[in-house]
Amino acid sequence: MSKDMDYEPTVQKTIKKSTGTKVFEAIAYTLLVLGSIICVLPFIIIVSGSFTDNTTILVKGYSLLPRDFTFSAYQTIFRSPKDILQAYKMTFYYTIVGTGLGLMMITLTGYVISRKEFKHRNTVSFLIYFTSIFGGGMIPWYLMYANVLNLKGSTIPIWFPALMSPFLVILMRTFIVGAVPDAITESAKIDGAGHFTIFFRIVLPVLKPGLATVGLFLALGYWNDWYRSSMFSTNSSTWQLQFYLYDLLNATTAMKQMASNVSMKTAELPTESVKLAMAVVATGPVLLFYPFVQRFFVSGITVGAVKG
Amino acid sequence: MKRKVLSVLLSMTMLAGAAVGCGSAGTQSAADQLEAEGVTQIPAAQEETKEETTQAPSESAAQEEAQGIDLSDQVDLVFYVMGDAPQDEEMVEGAINEKLLEKCNATIDMQFSTWTDFQQKYANEITAQSADLIYIANWLNYGQLASSGAFEELDDMLDSVAPDLKALVGDANLNMCRVGGKIYAIPNTWPEYVCNGVKYREDLRAKYNLPVPDSLENLEAYLLGIQENEPNQGLLTVTTEESQGLKTGFDAAWALNFKYPWVANNGLDYGLAANYDSPADVYDYWYSDDFVDDMKLMKKWADLGFWSKSALSDTNNSDAYKNGLCVAEVAGQNPNKQITAIADFENAGEGWESGYVAYGETNGIIYPGHATQNGTAIVRGCKNPERALLVLQTLLCDDEVNALMQYGIKGTHYDVADGIYKNIQEEAGETPTFPYEGFNTWNLRNGDTKLPQRTDVALQEMFDKYAVLGEKTKFPNVNIYDGFSENYDTYSAERSAVSNVMRQYLAPLEAGLVDDVDAAVEEFRSKMKEAGIDKCREEYTKQWQAYCEEYSYK
Repeated sequence: MSKDMDYEPTVQKTIKKSTGTKVFEAIAYTLLVLGSIICVLPFIIIVSGSFTDNTTILVKGYSLLPRDFTFSAYQTIFRSPKDILQAYKMTFYYTIVGTGLGLMMITLTGYVISRKEFKHRNTVSFLIYFTSIFGGGMIPWYLMYANVLNLKGSTIPIWFPALMSPFLVILMRTFIVGAVPDAITESAKIDGAGHFTIFFRIVLPVLKPGLATVGLFLALGYWNDWYRSSMFSTNSSTWQLQFYLYDLLNATTAMKQMASNVSMKTAELPTESVKLAMAVVATGPVLLFYPFVQRFFVSGITVGAVKG
Repeated sequence: MKRKVLSVLLSMTMLAGAAVGCGSAGTQSAADQLEAEGVTQIPAAQEETKEETTQAPSESAAQEEAQGIDLSDQVDLVFYVMGDAPQDEEMVEGAINEKLLEKCNATIDMQFSTWTDFQQKYANEITAQSADLIYIANWLNYGQLASSGAFEELDDMLDSVAPDLKALVGDANLNMCRVGGKIYAIPNTWPEYVCNGVKYREDLRAKYNLPVPDSLENLEAYLLGIQENEPNQGLLTVTTEESQGLKTGFDAAWALNFKYPWVANNGLDYGLAANYDSPADVYDYWYSDDFVDDMKLMKKWADLGFWSKSALSDTNNSDAYKNGLCVAEVAGQNPNKQITAIADFENAGEGWESGYVAYGETNGIIYPGHATQNGTAIVRGCKNPERALLVLQTLLCDDEVNALMQYGIKGTHYDVADGIYKNIQEEAGETPTFPYEGFNTWNLRNGDTKLPQRTDVALQEMFDKYAVLGEKTKFPNVNIYDGFSENYDTYSAERSAVSNVMRQYLAPLEAGLVDDVDAAVEEFRSKMKEAGIDKCREEYTKQWQAYCEEYSYK
């Protein structure tokens, strides 16, 4: 990286930009600016809407800057902050446990099936890969956890099923094959190193970009998941944050729909501005966190791709 | 040695990895195995054990209620209901279980579907057979589930275990829950009118001295009058949202219900219709002259500017009426929505008033909700169906338990003043930790003891009015249509083609957004033929007539 930095200024100084390049740059910058605006605008509208009075949204529509500035939506959400904080806590828990254990298992599996001395590595790889094409489907999956393992209501079926995915295992294997030449491990072996020494002292240190990539995939997956809470939670104290928010919205729609069939209370439903404030609350941490890992994320993917 | 242990560990991790990776494949075989063994042997999940054994049941009370079944073993039941759990779930459950242990030596654990993916999860719950008691409703495919054997038959058990329950519910209601001649569910006993009608602004009507919109002519006069006096006021906010079934394609067409004494709002599916007085005589609507006249009326209304030109692509704004963006609503408006509107207008404090006319008041056909709208069934595979039924009887018939179930703990969650329910926390401006019907057990409403809420008084007045009207119909206060469930397995392709043609051709026709009504009707009709409407109609009529025959609606 630093090498590139050194080169660039010299290149810029010596070659004068031609008109063609200038036009190209002008067009490229315009397009990129437009593109970024398209990406950023919805989010600005969400943030601005979350600070707008609900009736104003309904009557006048959304705007870039809040028309009637108010904190009422956030006050509504944090009036009983216990639920949302619990959901935050659980999501952090699932994300940390899931990413930690998942990384360990994926890396170890990837290492094993990348070793040439493991005779059946292709069979095992195939078996792992096979599950990404043929699955049993949702109902057997549900019955397995709910009835056979009897885990419904506990937190295990929320983080366990996503510990490994064939895609990430294959990605990790490819990465290991590319990053660790056979010669290195062989020489370590000659020096008397066992599998564990080789793995922890030689392989693992060069895997950092790979770990960051797979870890980020895992962490994002855990952070954004709501489905497993929906399936297996029997108590709202084990809900993931995304499910907590998603369910609030679903409750609104479902109850409105149901109200045409059954007498039931439809008051106390989240309003537009509350929904928007929820979106902000849910995405906030990821937004803060993402730029810091993104560096690894991008280099991880490219490194894996080039060398793999 | 150490190295060997390590490699064993390593390979175990890898195996575990394979197991997780192959998760779905693994479950497949497990499920097959289960099927082979007979799914009934799956043990019911019993997560409520924390509450058990603390209370020794009082023997004498148990004996009293026993009615011939053995109550010596404590039974823990799971009761699966829809929606979200109230905050004080455990507290109220504890109080209920105290009583249930005394009376039936049983406990219940409420489990909630939440509103996310609830159809799928409801089906899962029945497949997994992990619940004992379960909420049923026609909108959760009660009929289909019952006929495919998802629930226990209750006929014999009702006599032997729960005669009180049978007496309370009554034969007429139980008969409506019959599927293939057997009872599979116990309905609630609160007659609820979910008829449809028109909600309008009474204050504006009075201000400009306009007629009450109780017929197509008067609705037109009402809307025209407002248009004349307040040209900037929106009139109808109608979209395609409330009309997603196989009856109409556009919300404004609901107003036509003023005209027809049909067995259901908007007629039967596939443009068929039958009058309430002779439900088995199915006749054609889409290919009749009436239909052409009605579509011409819709075009007239559209040309008068009653709704937006972009109505077909607008998204539904269900708060439009509340915020004064329209002056009437014609689609999907039941008495309960009128009650909500009254409360909304009161809160808004702009001096607005909401009025309501049910279509049935004009066309003479009005009836309460069908018995299968809110009911309880026992899931097949339940280990103690008799005890479950006994518990259900207690939940519905025992006033004390029923009140706990529906309203929570008296003094903590609610209070009664002048016979009206009052939520203590709500009055104090807090979020209620156990709201009215906090367990969403609409299936446990007992008509004799149900505590009205403040808003229910007005609702009950409307119901009383409708009950009198309903008495005068040929089948006094019987909801014929909602017990019927169509089985379209053999013509699902034609059915979805018909549905597409409705979106594409019927919706603009009903929205009056066509130039030449006659030509558009012709096009719609021929497209319908191409889509295979005849096959749908033939099968549907056959099933419908068989249904009328079975329940003797003749």
